Amino acid sequence: MTAQTSTPDAATTFVVPASPTGWRRLLRDLRRSTKGMTGAILVGLAILAALSAPIVAPHQPTSQAVRGRFAEPFFLDSSTDYPLGGDNLGRDILSRVLYGARASLAICFLVTIVAAAVGSVLGAVAGFRGGVIDTLIMRTVDLQLSIPFILLAMIVLAVLGPGFWSVFVALALALWVNYARLVRGETLRIREMEYVLSARTIGANERRLMTKHVLPNMLHSILVLATLDMAFVIIFEASLTFLGLGIQPPTPTWGYMLSEGRNYLQESPWMTVFPGGAIILTVVGINLLGDWLRDTFDPSLRNR
Amino acid sequence: MGAFLIRRIIHMAAVLVAVLVIVSLLLRLIPGDPVDAMMSGNPGMTQENMDMVRDQLGLNDPIPEQIWDYASGLLRGDLGNSLRFRAPVLPLITEKLGPTIELTGFALIIAILIALPLGMITALHRDRPADYIGSIIAVLGISVPAFLLGILFILLFAIEWRIFPPAGYGGSITDGIRAIITDGDFGPIKESFRYLFLPGLTLGITIAAYNARMIRSSMVEVLRQDYIRAARSKGLKHSTVVMRHAFRNALIPVITILGLQMGYLLSGAFVVENVFAWPGIGRFSIQALQWRDYPTIQGVVMITALMFLTINLLVDVLYAFIDPRIRFH
Repeated sequence: MTAQTSTPDAATTFVVPASPTGWRRLLRDLRRSTKGMTGAILVGLAILAALSAPIVAPHQPTSQAVRGRFAEPFFLDSSTDYPLGGDNLGRDILSRVLYGARASLAICFLVTIVAAAVGSVLGAVAGFRGGVIDTLIMRTVDLQLSIPFILLAMIVLAVLGPGFWSVFVALALALWVNYARLVRGETLRIREMEYVLSARTIGANERRLMTKHVLPNMLHSILVLATLDMAFVIIFEASLTFLGLGIQPPTPTWGYMLSEGRNYLQESPWMTVFPGGAIILTVVGINLLGDWLRDTFDPSLRNR
Repeated sequence: MGAFLIRRIIHMAAVLVAVLVIVSLLLRLIPGDPVDAMMSGNPGMTQENMDMVRDQLGLNDPIPEQIWDYASGLLRGDLGNSLRFRAPVLPLITEKLGPTIELTGFALIIAILIALPLGMITALHRDRPADYIGSIIAVLGISVPAFLLGILFILLFAIEWRIFPPAGYGGSITDGIRAIITDGDFGPIKESFRYLFLPGLTLGITIAAYNARMIRSSMVEVLRQDYIRAARSKGLKHSTVVMRHAFRNALIPVITILGLQMGYLLSGAFVVENVFAWPGIGRFSIQALQWRDYPTIQGVVMITALMFLTINLLVDVLYAFIDPRIRFH
């Protein structure tokens, strides 16, 4: 096997590796696209907010002050102690929005990476091996798709108890099926292509075929699906938390801020407007970036 | 077609059995059982009393036996008794299912009414201002969480302008129709729709944005085909080409997506029902889960799973009517 990997392999030339020049070209494409740049800037802002929250935030996200109760945002009030206003417990909304980015982004990256990895591996195994393993994996997928994912997520959250890691498990469980289906379908298609057959002919084993020839060719599709899933994860996490099933206070989250703000909609709409705006801008950013990635990687799908 | 249907129905039955077993097991893994949930506000309850109640409810039987009992009841069309209400589950669920079906049905209609024109216009005006504006609207639509949109609508339509009620249920549409037929009274149905409008619009918009994007891409794909060029060069009118040749073919992928969207629609309904205090299956399931009411949750899961599987089967059958080239294997 070691001898094999060291032989120059003609088939690898068909694979498009993520080379430095590839990245540079991608960045150049990004700069030229209004859609891509808008998305990148919005996502970049969200990441920046999450990373810089401890430095930038004027208050602790959980510290309460009587003075800050329902404090008005800067454009309604001359004081800038609470730039985006205060909530019902006198917590600073700007600080909470900044810290809230952490929970949203952490869950969205973790869930998507794990769901994509697990789903892709299972899908590839199902497609490559066929037989009993394929049946087993794909029947599990069928099974899961027949239950509304919110019901499944609610049951999983009930079993594990609410909290960050329970939300992670519930969402990853809901999403891996998409990757399994995508990758299995692509595997069945690609493994019959001539370059894979020729690699097989010159003696590449199953594992090498899978990791060197088949999977790299779907990385783009997986990446596009993953980006669009991230948008879904942020919305879904916020929804679960809004319903009281997700991440629990005192962790500052956008979903929880909205569920509190809803009770003071008339008197203090800023309690709703700012976390709501944060969610929308982040998700719009991710969706634009995902759309752009799809246009770039697969021009034939440009209009999907 | 007959053989195809039989095979699919056997497959459906197998999936349902597996769903039942897995969900029943999962439910019993939830910390705390129905009796704990019932007695949580009742400190005078002794351990013996609680065990007696458990015995009565059959909760002390081995879990496989509990599942078997439930499953054999299912075969007779009996979904068991709710542990909370001590009443059959089926009427409880159908009572809540009505408002949810009204909500999702209305949302679907709104979604189609928005998505079809939006998707068609953006596709036909590709890379022109109408396309850009439409696409921006669609991206915004898929990026706004349903509950947030609901809150904003309540703020605008119910609190600021007082056009629609902020929450609640205005009676079922079937009752409204009955009132029109028997008394010629349009009051009840107006009332139903007054309450239905905001939650339906909220749910509809979130689904519409997805559909508009799908319809656009599907249309763009079809408009590129040779047969469209052929139809044009025959000298057919633009509207004929679009409607007779392109639209019909563009609908095929859209219908699949609609079938798959039932999941999104129902999940959205769970959230929207909570925002608008809509007495549907979503709010009810969250309560049933808190009560650890095993038979009720099992019933909800089984019925929704059955609905999902049936809809997907219908979607496959529908293909054949839209595209005669598709044959069942």
